[in-house]
Amino acid sequence: MDRSLRFVHLFPELLNLYADHGNMAVLVGRARARGFAVETVAVRLGTELRIENADLVLLGGGSDREQVIVGKELTRYREDLLSAIDRGLPVLAVCGGYQLLGEYYELPNGERVPGLRVLEMTTRAGRNRLIGNVAIEWREGGERKTIIGFENHGGRTTHEYPPLGTVIKGFGNNGRDGKEGVLYKGIVGTYIHGPLLPKNPHVADRLIRAALRYRGQDDTLSALADDLEWRVHDAVLRQICGEK
Amino acid sequence: MRIRSITGLWLGRMTKWVLWALGRKGTSLPGLVAARVAPRLLEELLNQLSTCVIVTGTNGKTTTTAFLYAFLNDGEAWLTNRGGANLQQGLLAALLAKSDWWGRLQVKKAVLEVDEATLPKVTAKFHPQAIVVTNVLRDQLDRYGEVDLALRMLSEGTRYAGTALITNADDPLAMSLGLGRPELTYYYGMTGVVDTTARRTDVRDGAFCLICGRELEYAYFIYGQIGAYRCPEGHFERPQPTFAGRWERAGRRLVVCEAEPNTAEEFTVESPVRGVFNQYNLLAAASAARVLGVSPKALRRRVQNFAPPTGRFQVFPGAPERVLVLIKNPTGANGVLRALEDDAAAKAVCFVINDDDADGRDVSWLWDINLEEFIPCSRAAEWLCGGTRGLDMALRLAYAGIERTQIRVLDKLAQVAEVSADGVETVYILSTYTALHPLSDLLKEVANRG
Ligand SMILES: [Zn+2]
Repeated sequence: MDRSLRFVHLFPELLNLYADHGNMAVLVGRARARGFAVETVAVRLGTELRIENADLVLLGGGSDREQVIVGKELTRYREDLLSAIDRGLPVLAVCGGYQLLGEYYELPNGERVPGLRVLEMTTRAGRNRLIGNVAIEWREGGERKTIIGFENHGGRTTHEYPPLGTVIKGFGNNGRDGKEGVLYKGIVGTYIHGPLLPKNPHVADRLIRAALRYRGQDDTLSALADDLEWRVHDAVLRQICGEK
Repeated sequence: MRIRSITGLWLGRMTKWVLWALGRKGTSLPGLVAARVAPRLLEELLNQLSTCVIVTGTNGKTTTTAFLYAFLNDGEAWLTNRGGANLQQGLLAALLAKSDWWGRLQVKKAVLEVDEATLPKVTAKFHPQAIVVTNVLRDQLDRYGEVDLALRMLSEGTRYAGTALITNADDPLAMSLGLGRPELTYYYGMTGVVDTTARRTDVRDGAFCLICGRELEYAYFIYGQIGAYRCPEGHFERPQPTFAGRWERAGRRLVVCEAEPNTAEEFTVESPVRGVFNQYNLLAAASAARVLGVSPKALRRRVQNFAPPTGRFQVFPGAPERVLVLIKNPTGANGVLRALEDDAAAKAVCFVINDDDADGRDVSWLWDINLEEFIPCSRAAEWLCGGTRGLDMALRLAYAGIERTQIRVLDKLAQVAEVSADGVETVYILSTYTALHPLSDLLKEVANRG
């Protein structure tokens, strides 16, 4: 059986505002611990993205200036991305990368930057930034789990898809409808960083399983010794829920 | 001075007395009270100064201010805001401490450390003789959002053409403040200190041309985005510094070469600080002092009056010796780690990470510290973590390659102050802002118990 996985990090040199390389470290670490041979590819500005070589794509967040550059660059690959996502390509899109998947997002000055239109989703500029610790409830296969982290975004995102979770503490997509993030086929979109995956290893495993299914393989994963991860998760969750 | 300002001033003083009577040190509260009542008090006090130098930027403000305070002290009294109280209320508290009941300043010269976001508010109503910029780096993201915003505030705050600007030639963002500002702009920079430990993989926020957005090309890096850069399209490059520093690490001196229009003169200052980032602080202060007319001879003498601020490689003697160092953002932390590599002693490294407002509530920056490259050259026998987010740091260390069973998490700061381990000569305690002063006090106690 083929035991290899290829993870692609899009524009890590531009979309690195919230230490998104930490997410890659967790995906790689948890896949290797299960015996998979993992190859990581960093696609930088000016290098070719070959979507057929990706089993999972990571899209992080950057400043507005950097996001505009990335948005333009990615337009070239829209059709490729769309058809791969349709076939279940897992994508982790955080913050700016999440906004980029929608129809457009609005800059603080009101200018609308076109998105990749992968999702029917829009992001409007808000008056103030939504900043702080965040905790959400995530349901998967009848199980309830929490996801924790930090959010810092000016944009208010709205869509009709299932969210990644419902807000327990914090703002979420727009501070109004109690939803955080998006789930659509293999896409996990979210405003939560910290980075997201180190303290939420269950989300990392969900992405790895999706990558295995995308390759047409058995998606069973063995359990790992991750008590430190859960100790941090629980401590931060307690801290967040204790906040006024 | 207006009645309203005098009322504010009195209330500020009374607050200070109350705090003193309660046995508390108040650096900002008296200023906060005064500012509430009298919004124009700060500018009215500042405008009484005959000489004022402001130090701003992301990292190194406090150390640079302490150096400048030593360099400028000509026997006359100078005032400064020691302790890093660098927002409006902190400035006000420092000025109130030196004014009489009628709001007349008793001291007419000042060296002030000013936060980047506060700078434009201060310089809108008051123009200092000189502004020194240390660097523009990624800081606590939840404070300002992004580096671009910090740069905008600095650029607005340094616009007044009558003020001398002394800024960093080696930092593309700090340097850009001098563009289109032909008069009274001075650059300082390092030459010949190509630090062999500079890492290509460190975070670099300013490493893009501000005009065309292309990635800057570097002949060499010193730390972070600081080095010898140029835009591949030629829009932008490191300027020839007016004050070029050469750090003689082994001899612990800084040689400064001053480029006059036709001549170049050199002078040497003993460097009492560690780490290349600290040599920049010394160079920035020496350059500003030269711009203000202090002679090289006086600089050499007055550097001995430099008092290192709390938690800037503050040494507490003992066995083991303990050293307290502030870390607050990735570039600063990386600079500190490079300085630790220079120390051949067997060491323990303890990270104390808090997430209060003053620390930055978002701890994702821990993942931008380049631990992966530090660990193999660290000569560290022990790894410890503490603070409200000590567990986050432990997880970060685990991902950087430290065995999970080798990482100790300490619940209390008192335990941090007493860390020791077999065969360890020095314990380095790397702490964020809000744990720094409590740790300094605890470490003093432990050292005195000795
Ligand atoms: Zn350019």
